[in-house]
Amino acid sequence: MESSTSGSVVPHLPGMEVSELSKNTYEVYIGPAHPGSGHMRIIVEVDGDIMVRVDPDIGFVHRTMEKLAEGRDWIKNIPLFERMAILDACNITLPYVEAVEKLLGTEPPERARYLRTLLCEINRIASHLYGMGIFGVFLGHSTLYMWAFGDREVFIDLAEQMSGARLTHSYPVFGGVRRDIPDDFPEGARKATRYMRNRLNEYAKIFLNNPNIRSRLENVGVMSKNLATELGIVGPNLRASGVRYDVRLNEPYEAYGELEFEIPVFEEGDSLARAWARVEEIRQSLNIIDKVVDWLEKHPRENFMHEKFWKTAPKLYKDVYTGQIDYAGKYRVKLMPLFASLKVPPGKAFARVEAGRGEMVYYVESDGKDVPYRVRVVSPSFRNVIAFKYLMPGHRLMDLPAIYGSFDYFPPEWDR
Amino acid sequence: MITWYLVYRIIVDDIIFYPPIYQFLIIPGLIAALLVALFIIWFERKAAAFVQMRYGPREIAPRIGGAIQLVADLTRYALQEIIIPETVDVLPYILSPIIMIILALLPLEAVPLTSIRTYFPIPPDYSLLIAVALSTLSPLFVVLMSWASNNKFAVVGGIRESFIITAYELIAVLGFLSAAAMTQSFNIVNIVNIQMSGKWLGLLNPIALLAVFIAVLMSTSGFPFEIPDSESELVAGPYTEYTGLLYGLNMGGGYIKRWVFSILIALVFLGGWAPYKPVPGIITGYFIPSLIVSIKALIVMAIMSFLRSVYGRYRVDQALGIAWEILIPLTLAAFGLGLAEAYFGII
Repeated sequence: MESSTSGSVVPHLPGMEVSELSKNTYEVYIGPAHPGSGHMRIIVEVDGDIMVRVDPDIGFVHRTMEKLAEGRDWIKNIPLFERMAILDACNITLPYVEAVEKLLGTEPPERARYLRTLLCEINRIASHLYGMGIFGVFLGHSTLYMWAFGDREVFIDLAEQMSGARLTHSYPVFGGVRRDIPDDFPEGARKATRYMRNRLNEYAKIFLNNPNIRSRLENVGVMSKNLATELGIVGPNLRASGVRYDVRLNEPYEAYGELEFEIPVFEEGDSLARAWARVEEIRQSLNIIDKVVDWLEKHPRENFMHEKFWKTAPKLYKDVYTGQIDYAGKYRVKLMPLFASLKVPPGKAFARVEAGRGEMVYYVESDGKDVPYRVRVVSPSFRNVIAFKYLMPGHRLMDLPAIYGSFDYFPPEWDR
Repeated sequence: MITWYLVYRIIVDDIIFYPPIYQFLIIPGLIAALLVALFIIWFERKAAAFVQMRYGPREIAPRIGGAIQLVADLTRYALQEIIIPETVDVLPYILSPIIMIILALLPLEAVPLTSIRTYFPIPPDYSLLIAVALSTLSPLFVVLMSWASNNKFAVVGGIRESFIITAYELIAVLGFLSAAAMTQSFNIVNIVNIQMSGKWLGLLNPIALLAVFIAVLMSTSGFPFEIPDSESELVAGPYTEYTGLLYGLNMGGGYIKRWVFSILIALVFLGGWAPYKPVPGIITGYFIPSLIVSIKALIVMAIMSFLRSVYGRYRVDQALGIAWEILIPLTLAAFGLGLAEAYFGII
């Protein structure tokens, strides 16, 4: 940059981008070590108080996950991919599991499909609450931050009851799920959904209908339908711009085809609509949880793992499951031995789900070995981050957190 | 015995209760301000914690609800290394927080806290005018500090601060002076004496009280106007480059400014030492009235602190819009209301 002002030739290295600053602007680097940036950097050029150029600079938490996946057993990649967004772990790993199942040719039993749906929705709520909490603290609203993070605990507890882990569940595995729910789970889940419905009304009172917050969010970062589809935005951000697109609806997976639910769509496309879209989605997820729990209660405890894997299960596992030993007690239930030496037939498979932040896509290629040949991941945050570049210019610097937070952008998810 | 008595009298009368020293250093000055900061920061955190369904501070002294948390924080600030970056302008960088604190306390020298002549720090004839004028000095040093820091976030924060100063000062000055319009006097003793009958100016002219209240929130970057040091895009605004004790001074500076304004609000709008009539004598004529004023001011501050758990922050242009488009007409209306009330003899 200095050399360009002194008139000498700017060296062009591969991957290097040189842009000249205009005279009356001021460049502010928000991040990567900044209370309001997350694990990324946003290079903002401001003219007075107006942002004229916004450059989301990503890659600060890149962990080469796709490459790491090529050196690990098939099953060991599930805990690896969870690290992309541990607060949304089931949704993030589910398409990988589905893609590998397509290669293996195993269909999960019906109960497993409902159990996966259940954890996916619990994860979606937890993820949205996390996003709303961060949004609140971006706008200086510490109460929403504390409320959302406190209420998220309710759903993390539910997930813990299901899977034994608060965040990194590794719940869906090839051919089914890792374990069944405890007997008293439906009761707790209904209590949680009842509680959360009331809380959502209080959220609306203190945050979304708060005149102070409304004035910050209304008509800020308006993303038109055209722009949203052009940029390829996904998830609640897309639906807040009036596009009715949801993988659960367009290409139903797991049990979503059999469940009734609504996809909340908002026309405004501003930051407020994006916040409302999340709240309404939480409401729909609560309905889905209720329905799934009803289904699980009505149907007998049939198998939750494909027969091919189930027959290799250790005796202790089967005893625990059939109720001959106390259920979730002192015994550790291990994975099926077949997973350790699993070889996936050669082929290519593709699967996608609607994760908390949007469409999550995996492309898996196998050459018949015990490790994948190639795993390609496209995460929703990767597709959403480009919006900053187009939405933020023209707004004031103080709108940066209002737009950033409304997108619920999560750097570790993009930076795989 | 007599000499000891004399020494005692000199210490008490001429040093501790010598009005300029008493008001600058003890009540409501430095020591009271520190105690108030101790209480208010604790209250702010506990009240927010109550709203947010958590415990708040309780690691330090759990039996009294973590009340001395600030002592621990201040100790840490005091013992931390003060890092002075190479790029700063050293002299203004070091001096401006100190000058800011001193100037922020200065209005307390101008206000009388009792109606007894012996205990006036300065002749009170124009005390309201002088106090309001002195209160406008310290914000300049926030701007200086941000400029001396030579940091982008600090400069942006300083510019925002200067915008906010120009917006709120007019409101605060006009709001306080509408009390002068109502009482035809700049003398705070007169203003308080008029309120002795229970007709507090805040009740007679609530618009002025509201305008001043919001202006004080703006000036001390309280929620919903925590704009110059908005964390999510400016780190700590003008204070970004400060560490250790100097940072602690900056943080304390905001609370001291708010405290001084609260004292002024208590005196002008909330009746001062109103239900109590000072009787000659150090304790009854000076200590008790000053304590009453301080308690009223503390309540005002507590209300301001509570807003943190309700509001987020406004955008800078919205805050300026509120100030210039809503509050200034409102303050002028309050001034007119005050004049009308004085004309029709309601006061």
